[in-house]
Amino acid sequence: MADLSIAAACKRFGETEVLRDVSIEVADGEFAVIVGPSGCGKSTLLRAVAGLEHLTSGRIRIGARDVTALPPSQRGIAMVFQSYALYPHLTAYENMAFGLRIAKAGRAEIDAAVRRAAAILSIESLLDRKPAALSGGQRQRVAIGRAIVRQPQLFLFDEPLSNLDADLRGRMRHEFAALHRTLGTTTLYVTHDQIEAMTLADRIVVLRDGRIEQAGAPRDLYARPDTLFVAQFLGTPQMTALPATMAEDGRARLAGGHAVALPPLAAPPPPGAAVTLGIRPEDVAIGATANALPFTIAFAERLGGLATLHLEGPGGVLTCQIRDDGSLNEGDAVPVTLPPARLHLFDAAGKRLRSVDE
Amino acid sequence: MMRRWTVTLLAAFVALVTIAPLLWMVSVSFMAPGEAARFPPPLLPENATLENYRQLFGTYGALRFLANSLLVSTLATTLALLFTVPAGYAFAKLRFRGRDATFRLLVAALVVPAQIGMLPLFLELKAMGLVNSYAGALVPWLAGIFGIFLVRQYCLSIPDEMLEAARIDGAGEGAILRRIVLPVLTPIIVTLALFVFLSSWNDFMWPLIILADQRLYTLPVALAALSREHVQDNELMMAGAVVTTLPVLILFLALQRFYLNGLLAGSVKG
Repeated sequence: MADLSIAAACKRFGETEVLRDVSIEVADGEFAVIVGPSGCGKSTLLRAVAGLEHLTSGRIRIGARDVTALPPSQRGIAMVFQSYALYPHLTAYENMAFGLRIAKAGRAEIDAAVRRAAAILSIESLLDRKPAALSGGQRQRVAIGRAIVRQPQLFLFDEPLSNLDADLRGRMRHEFAALHRTLGTTTLYVTHDQIEAMTLADRIVVLRDGRIEQAGAPRDLYARPDTLFVAQFLGTPQMTALPATMAEDGRARLAGGHAVALPPLAAPPPPGAAVTLGIRPEDVAIGATANALPFTIAFAERLGGLATLHLEGPGGVLTCQIRDDGSLNEGDAVPVTLPPARLHLFDAAGKRLRSVDE
Repeated sequence: MMRRWTVTLLAAFVALVTIAPLLWMVSVSFMAPGEAARFPPPLLPENATLENYRQLFGTYGALRFLANSLLVSTLATTLALLFTVPAGYAFAKLRFRGRDATFRLLVAALVVPAQIGMLPLFLELKAMGLVNSYAGALVPWLAGIFGIFLVRQYCLSIPDEMLEAARIDGAGEGAILRRIVLPVLTPIIVTLALFVFLSSWNDFMWPLIILADQRLYTLPVALAALSREHVQDNELMMAGAVVTTLPVLILFLALQRFYLNGLLAGSVKG
């Protein structure tokens, strides 16, 4: 067991800066998820921790050891790749045993380690098969087994679920969570899927263009995103962003002149300043009130129990999620209220404007 | 249905046309001297005899040439694999300065016919004192560009992540090559081995140039020398041809399964 510390990591490929001054602390036993759109540098960061890429500058420490200059095999890590990267000519057993064989471990020790990992992943019956005879999910398990057998101080996962179909992805998510509870090993997990990040992580690190956009507990990032990017990256359906301008009375004015009451801000922008109002689909209140805004249902996605409504009205398109009783239909006019306590405010640069009680 | 029959018949016809001379070669090798020259030429020997083989191995010592050929081809194959497989792998998967430039140069050299290189190579080997030795006969096979190219192209399809997984598992570059890459490369190695063995077995020109001592002759060179003496003796020559053809035919049939695998390997992903 060990903690992980990445300090001021920078990586350049020629002229392209892939990582810019990235610092992350992952506590012992923590499940940290690095999430971001493709090309944000998250895989490069993971490969740097694994030792498969060298940082241009910065240090990486695992436990008490500075591993920045160490080869992958001496870092005490195990990695699961997106493509599984199993050895095709070896059985599942030999795939998992490979590392220990290289380390010249004894036959009994290897057997015990492989069987223990196989038992944890319930793949005992597959050990004699070669990868070609395994399904995607089974291959994934063998790849995880190979990582477990190494008894690493740190698990690295590089988009491990993105090659699986949606159903299997859901089940494997549960298994990852369960596995982490069982083993308690510090884990760094890279994904572009915000659902994986939200469900698995103790801590989420949102990466964008090689920089950390925000890091913290999933709940905190969801409730108080530092930037509009984080706000819109986490959560499905996406948070709605409505452009507005600050009015003299401290409210915000949407296009079309409708005023929206805001929560008390710690540092309100001056009148006339451009802001963005953010509201999560589940926070939109439908029903006639004094301050209701006139919206029309442009498109309804009915999911059975829930419906996602795309509403057109002042300021643009608003996404709203409701319990579907069938009473609302496309074309209907609906009065919409944006509860001030539920509003997220961002300045022109996309930075969060904090309310007084934050 | 009709079409399938047509294709089958056509294939059978082509196969027959291909194999007919081979079968006749075997048949003639059992005929008495002069029998094959009759008109019309007989398909089967009137009185099958082993006399030609007795003469070939007894009088002319073909066994020695057969052994020479086996030695040269086996060494050529072994050495070629030893050099070309790691080279092809390195060109595909290892990062080093000048890799792509060197490889482009090699590929460019592929268009130069081997015959053009023979004279300079001969002079070079003469300076090194390797003329009239098997070392000299083996030189052209050591690092065939085609072999390097073949292995490299196949290696490109090996995912980097697999090699990285092995690196994380603690395997050094040597262990990765031996325990991960070579097993994956089996089909292409068999293909390449067959290719080198067949070419060096059938090679006539280079052994003829480099080997002066008759005792060092390989089968094709020895047969050519024999045919100069026995221009009329078709039956004896056919026995020699059988001895030359049979070993490689057997080798090919034995390894055919792997060979086809190797040829198809690039076309189907999975």
